[in-house]
Amino acid sequence: MNPPGSSGVLEHKADELVSTPIRAPSVYSDDPQERIQARRLRIAARVEARRREALGEYLDGKKESEEDHGRSYKQKEESRLKLAKLLLYGTELVTNIRVAIDVREIHRRVEEEEIKRQRIEKLENEVKTSQDKFDEITAKWKEGRQKRIPQELWDMLITQQLHCAGLIEDKNKLISELQQELKIKDDQYVKDLKKQSDDITLLLERMEEQVKSMVKAFYQELLHIEKAFELERQELLTSNKKKWEWALQAHSTKELEYLVNRMKRVQEYEQQLNKQRIWDCEEYITIKIKLEQDVQVLEQQLQQMKATYQLNQEKLEYNFQVLKKRDEESTVIKSQQKRKINRLHDKLNNLRSKYAKQVKQFQEENQALTTDYKRLVMQFKEIQKSLRHFALIDDEKFREIWLMNEEEAKGLISKAFDVDRIIHTQHLGLPWTAPDFWFLNNVGPISQQMKRSATQIVEEVLRQTEEEGEEEAASKPESYLDLPKQISAKTTKKILMLLCDESGFLIESKLLSLLLPLEKTESYLLRLDAIFSALGIESEGDLYKLVNFFLKYQAHHGSSSQVSLAPGSEAAEQTSLEGGEGGEQEEKAAPASSSLIHPNDVLKVLEAFVMGLRKPRDFQASLKVGMGVRDDSEDSEYWEALTTVIPAAKQNLWDTLYTALEKYHLVLTQRAKLLVENESLEQQNAELQSLLQQYLHSKINSELQVPPTQVLRVPSK
Amino acid sequence: MQDSRPPLTPPMPSQSTSTGPPPSVAAHTPATGLLPTKPVFPSFRRMRRIIAEDTEWSLAIVPLLMELCIQNIIRNFQKNPILKQLCPEDQQKVLSHLPPDLPLAVTANLIDDEGYWRRCCTQRWPVCHVAWHGNSWKRLFFERHLQGLLSHFIPGTTDPSTILDLLPLCKDYVRSLRVDQLLPPVHLLPTPRTAGDQSDSGSEGEAEESSADHYPLGPLVAGLSQLEELDLVYGVKDCGMNFEWKLFLFTYHDCHSLAATIKACHTLKIFRLTRSRVDDERARILIRSLLDHPAIEELDLSHNLIGDRGARGAAKLLSHSRLRVLNLANNRVRAPGAQALAHALVHNANLLSLNLRLNCIEDEGGQALAHALLSNTCLTTLHLGGNELSEPTAMLLSQVLTVNTTLTSINLSCNSIGPDGGKQLLEGVVDNKTLLEFDLRLSDVTQESEYLIGQALHANREAARQRALNPSHFVLPVTASGPGKSVA
Repeated sequence: MNPPGSSGVLEHKADELVSTPIRAPSVYSDDPQERIQARRLRIAARVEARRREALGEYLDGKKESEEDHGRSYKQKEESRLKLAKLLLYGTELVTNIRVAIDVREIHRRVEEEEIKRQRIEKLENEVKTSQDKFDEITAKWKEGRQKRIPQELWDMLITQQLHCAGLIEDKNKLISELQQELKIKDDQYVKDLKKQSDDITLLLERMEEQVKSMVKAFYQELLHIEKAFELERQELLTSNKKKWEWALQAHSTKELEYLVNRMKRVQEYEQQLNKQRIWDCEEYITIKIKLEQDVQVLEQQLQQMKATYQLNQEKLEYNFQVLKKRDEESTVIKSQQKRKINRLHDKLNNLRSKYAKQVKQFQEENQALTTDYKRLVMQFKEIQKSLRHFALIDDEKFREIWLMNEEEAKGLISKAFDVDRIIHTQHLGLPWTAPDFWFLNNVGPISQQMKRSATQIVEEVLRQTEEEGEEEAASKPESYLDLPKQISAKTTKKILMLLCDESGFLIESKLLSLLLPLEKTESYLLRLDAIFSALGIESEGDLYKLVNFFLKYQAHHGSSSQVSLAPGSEAAEQTSLEGGEGGEQEEKAAPASSSLIHPNDVLKVLEAFVMGLRKPRDFQASLKVGMGVRDDSEDSEYWEALTTVIPAAKQNLWDTLYTALEKYHLVLTQRAKLLVENESLEQQNAELQSLLQQYLHSKINSELQVPPTQVLRVPSK
Repeated sequence: MQDSRPPLTPPMPSQSTSTGPPPSVAAHTPATGLLPTKPVFPSFRRMRRIIAEDTEWSLAIVPLLMELCIQNIIRNFQKNPILKQLCPEDQQKVLSHLPPDLPLAVTANLIDDEGYWRRCCTQRWPVCHVAWHGNSWKRLFFERHLQGLLSHFIPGTTDPSTILDLLPLCKDYVRSLRVDQLLPPVHLLPTPRTAGDQSDSGSEGEAEESSADHYPLGPLVAGLSQLEELDLVYGVKDCGMNFEWKLFLFTYHDCHSLAATIKACHTLKIFRLTRSRVDDERARILIRSLLDHPAIEELDLSHNLIGDRGARGAAKLLSHSRLRVLNLANNRVRAPGAQALAHALVHNANLLSLNLRLNCIEDEGGQALAHALLSNTCLTTLHLGGNELSEPTAMLLSQVLTVNTTLTSINLSCNSIGPDGGKQLLEGVVDNKTLLEFDLRLSDVTQESEYLIGQALHANREAARQRALNPSHFVLPVTASGPGKSVA
């Protein structure tokens, strides 16, 4: 800080000065004393400001004291602010001179202006007055010209002169005044120059002073800061030292305490140890005695125990041996068992695998068999089909063969008969009569009309209607030749369907459930089978009877019910028309459509039919012939009969005849041979003759010395 | 800062000994001094044959031929300057031993070494501010040399070739020309003046005007290709009691030639023409030549006789150039001139500083300027000291202060603002966060408000210091440099 003693005095002054209003411009004007006062005032203000600043600083410092480097930082900041203030005020102090001069200059200007204005006014006035005077004088000159009297003129001249002198004097006065002013100005200038030099010296002084003070202040502040740092450092040092000492002291006291405590404890422990030792010794002795006694007792026991032990040992050893052996045995057995178990396990595994394999195999087989079975069933069905087909074909063939053989036989027979007739008529000369036998008239195989079962018929009917359809109805009649005349397959089917629908109660419930998944025709078939068995219909005839019964019943009741069943009759007509295409004429005549039979009447018809059927049933033994087995007993008879067409007597006759004829034939053949021989000899003769002729007629003969011709005698022909 | 300058520059001898190269005499001593020292400590010397700290020490007893050559070069440098051919170490040696009074014709374009020029400067002038000359001693030397020549040039008597001969030597180094006096031509018959003759002086001045022209700067300035600053005073310094009006005559011829000179100099950045009795006409001539100048940044026409017309010209210049500083202190600008300047200021975005100290713009002009400042966002410094401003201007300025965020310094000293105006200004300052300087001395403001304003400014300064990371809080008032110059 700055010197505190002087500042205290100055503060009072400053306070006084602050309270009084400042006479600012006048202070700076002229008087150096006043200027000094102003300077003092400035200094006071500065000090005042510094004091305030310090106050402010104090507040700042409070804040900053919380920081770590409180003191030094504070001091630095303080110094900085202080120096800034100092610098600011210093520059202000220096520039104050300039400001003061400025102000003075302004005032001077104002004054100058005023004076100038006054001067100009004065000059103008002067000009005016002098002009007036001059005008007066010039006017008087005119007057003077008119003056004739010299005295007057003289007077006037004198007055003129006086006036002129006055005017000149005025002017001179003015000039001298102005010159006076100029002189004053010159003086002023000199003064100003002096003042300027004074000011400059003052300025320099102030500057120097300022510089000095600044240097001093800076130095001081530096010292302060250093001091602050030093102080801080010292404080820090002392505090640290104190801390350190305190800590050391605390440490030493604690150490001492610990030592004392330790000593105490050591003593205590020693005492305790001694006590403990004594006590231990006593205890030890007592225990020792006791234990020795115990030892003796125990030794005795030990001996006993040893004895028993020996005994036990032996026993146990024996047992041990036994057990060992047993153990060995058991181990052997165990191993055997183990082996066995292993073996069995192996077997089990093998069997399992085998089993699995077999299961698989069987499954496969099963599958294969099922497929086979299916295939076979199919095949069987096909075979059946083909069988039927072949049966028919066989029949046909059989018939054809029969016919062929028969024809052959008959041809042979007729030939035989012809031969017989020729023999009789030509050779024997006997009249011949054709024998007559039953079998000769027979044509085709000997057939037996067989009785078929009702179901078969039904089946056939159903199948045919189904398979062939209506288009083949035309070709049907032949196959239905065996059916009763009036009944067509269609009507039969319709009646049967009706029957099947209406008489469901005759079928067993079990069967019904089984029938559900089957085909329509099959289900019908089975149902009808069941119904027929219930009704007792067995043969074809029974079925036809039933159908006829139905038709008859209808014929009876049809007329009565026709009116009521008009729509029904229409339908009947339609169906009859359809049926008419493939059916017989009789069917058309009779309104035989089954649809005409009301379903409600079916039961009545059935009842009546069953009642009627029961009577003949008793004596009608059912001759059940195996189907497809033909009775061929008569065939052999027939064919044997055919062989005996020519009787044995006749055959004997033929034999004798034959021998006689053979003899005759032999003679004839010999004759024929001879004839042929004869003919060939003749031919040879002719050929030889021609050859001879040829040789005789050739040229060589002529050339020869001895012609053969001469030798030979030519046979003349 | 001016007051601290003298102590800042240390005295010459201390400089040369501390950092500068040792004088030539000192250089010889170690070589010669070896001889006596050797026998004194023979054992020590024998033990340590080479001493690392002593660069001059050598085993050689006889000076090296190289040394001798260098000495010879130094001795004959004036006649036969050999420098560039030497290796750098030898160059250094030569430069450190060259006498500083060699003719400039030899050294000017040959030697660039700062040490040598420093020696030259310190020998010639006791006080050297190398910072004013771009921290270049060579520049300082040439600038001051040229300034000295110019300020002692007497037209008609001194040979102009003394200056023009120097031109080729210094044209690359002179960047600023500060001439604080230009002498008028001296008449052969200096009539001894008496008190009675003084009345004639005025008429004499008019008659002799044509013959009172100063040295024409045209050819010189045209030769200086690097010139950036031109500071002229057409007047005589320290005339004292020999005062005559004709010593301070800035003739029209001078004016025209100067105008042509500054117009031709395209590198000029700062132009100052102070204390030269420049009136409106002359100011207009000069300003006309500066219109649309490519480089001019600062114009200083303080301490002249410029009136409203000149101010109007300056206002025109504001809108036709990139002027950053305008100084019209101590002129005769009145309200109309200030209004013109204010009008130019509204749309200006270059001007940073405006100085209208010691004019008479009065409230009308002050209000106009304040209105302009409401929309201007560039001006940082405004000096309106001694302008007979009063309360109305203060009121407006307080409004400006609440709005403006660029102004950092305002000077309203020596006005009659009055206590109420002070209060209003205080309100304005309290709302402002950028203002750092506000001079209200001798303006009838109550001490209380002045103090409170000071507090507010202090807070602003602290805030600015916090903003700028470097803690240089010594923000010097711009006005501080003004008086120092004007007084000196």
